[in-house]
Amino acid sequence: MKYMILTYASQRDYDAMAGRPTEEPVWSADDFAAMAEFMEAFNKDLADSGELVETRGLAAPVLTRRLQLQNGVPVVTDGPYAETQEVLAGYWIVECDSFDRATELAARLASCPAPEQVAATAVADVRPIADARADLEL
Amino acid sequence: MPDTDVEGLLRQLAPQVLGAVVRRYGHFDTAEDATQEALLAAAMRWPRDGVPDNPRAWLITVASRRLTDLLRSEQARQRREDTVASRALPEQRLAPAADRPASDADDTLVLLFMCCHPVLSPASQIALTLRAVGGLTTAEIARAFLVPEDTMTRRISRAKQRIRDSGIPFALPPAGERGERLGAVLHVLYLIFNEGYASTSGPHLHRTELSAEAIRLARLVHRLLPDDGEVTGLLALMLLTDARRPARTGPDGELVPMASQDRSRWNADAIAEGVALITGALPRGPTGPYQLQAAIAAVHDEAPSAEATDWPQIVALYELLRRLSDNPVVALNHAVAVAMARGPQAGLELLGALQADQRIAADHRLHAVRAHLLELAGDRAGARDAYQAAAGRTTNLPQQRYLNARAARLADGP
Repeated sequence: MKYMILTYASQRDYDAMAGRPTEEPVWSADDFAAMAEFMEAFNKDLADSGELVETRGLAAPVLTRRLQLQNGVPVVTDGPYAETQEVLAGYWIVECDSFDRATELAARLASCPAPEQVAATAVADVRPIADARADLEL
Repeated sequence: MPDTDVEGLLRQLAPQVLGAVVRRYGHFDTAEDATQEALLAAAMRWPRDGVPDNPRAWLITVASRRLTDLLRSEQARQRREDTVASRALPEQRLAPAADRPASDADDTLVLLFMCCHPVLSPASQIALTLRAVGGLTTAEIARAFLVPEDTMTRRISRAKQRIRDSGIPFALPPAGERGERLGAVLHVLYLIFNEGYASTSGPHLHRTELSAEAIRLARLVHRLLPDDGEVTGLLALMLLTDARRPARTGPDGELVPMASQDRSRWNADAIAEGVALITGALPRGPTGPYQLQAAIAAVHDEAPSAEATDWPQIVALYELLRRLSDNPVVALNHAVAVAMARGPQAGLELLGALQADQRIAADHRLHAVRAHLLELAGDRAGARDAYQAAAGRTTNLPQQRYLNARAARLADGP
């Protein structure tokens, strides 16, 4: 069974991580290196155990383009998110034996090094993936 | 024999084996699968049982047998068994033509031309070259390009299908097309190198295996065509660029610009080899863009420091390069060299013209260079804004952190 682990961040979080001054403290070079090292090891563990299907980090929310129908025509809005709104920042798709196992994997993300104020508000979601049309019709 | 030696041997033999099998039996697409299977079988068996006396012949035999099996099952399915007879071993029935010794060198070149054929998209050319000529597995290629293995499998099989459907013969391109087709081959190798040198996404700047593979393939082409100046130029360019890799990132993975790099960490052997190659090629002419870029890289690599670089010579080389190709990135680098030779104001004037060029106007590199030149000119506020603009235009996190750090440093001062 496949599960998706999702993590979230706001534009402000992205700016802090990219070293751009905001109201939040900027990540130091050490903070950033520690995070990168953790993620590399985390991904390698998942790949080595054969459970990783794929993982990606998304570029900053400000780069989002939203499409909406207006009078039946798709209209594009650039950067629809507010500065502080938490949106999808990255995901892992894992294939494992149980929901509990997927949850256990996601829980490891809690030990990802991060500045205190980031760690304090971080959340991750785990959601089962509907593999096929049949899953949706059950 | 240790696994790594076996792997190196297999990668070296891969294009020779595939070339020999295709030359004998045709069916490039199926032959490619058969060769991969033979390479896999060898990779499992040789480290355990030892390498056979003639490893190339062993691989060709296994691949040919596998090809026959694959073709039989395919044809049984299609009930077209008559075609197998017409495909059988022309070289076993006929003596080879006296004027056409089918050497391994020819085969490998033909394969390269085939994999980089203009009917294929650049992404397919790259994938197929790495697999058929480089001997990498689909899984390895998928990992290097950060795509799922399924996607890469499909990309490769679609490319092979395309080659089959276009009826491209297994032969060197006609003399009239050869220059252009070689250009396509070199471009593919250049793209592979760049993908490894400046990976475009993620927290890591290098995917060095790809650079190493591009250099290995460029060496191979250089061995096959030692008198071609552009082949030599490309190999020299790769070596001279890759030589700086150890100094290009700091301890935390951050980008270090060339001016601040610790030049003692540059790879002296690679520099010496690259300089010798380009020095040998330039006087022979005609001079193409890879040779000029290699010459520029050589001037940088031989300078003891950024300040002591022969900037007027670099300006002159960029002017020659701009005459050969209308490329905005070349124009940008030219502006940097002019600024170093004649002062930041002269460089900023050249950038003004580039800002109207749609191909580069939104590129972070243009803004980063502008920021740097404004900083040199003493315009701190302008430089800060330009660094921030550049940071907002790249999705690469280490680059963003570097550019934002430059901006922040300027904010602290007067």
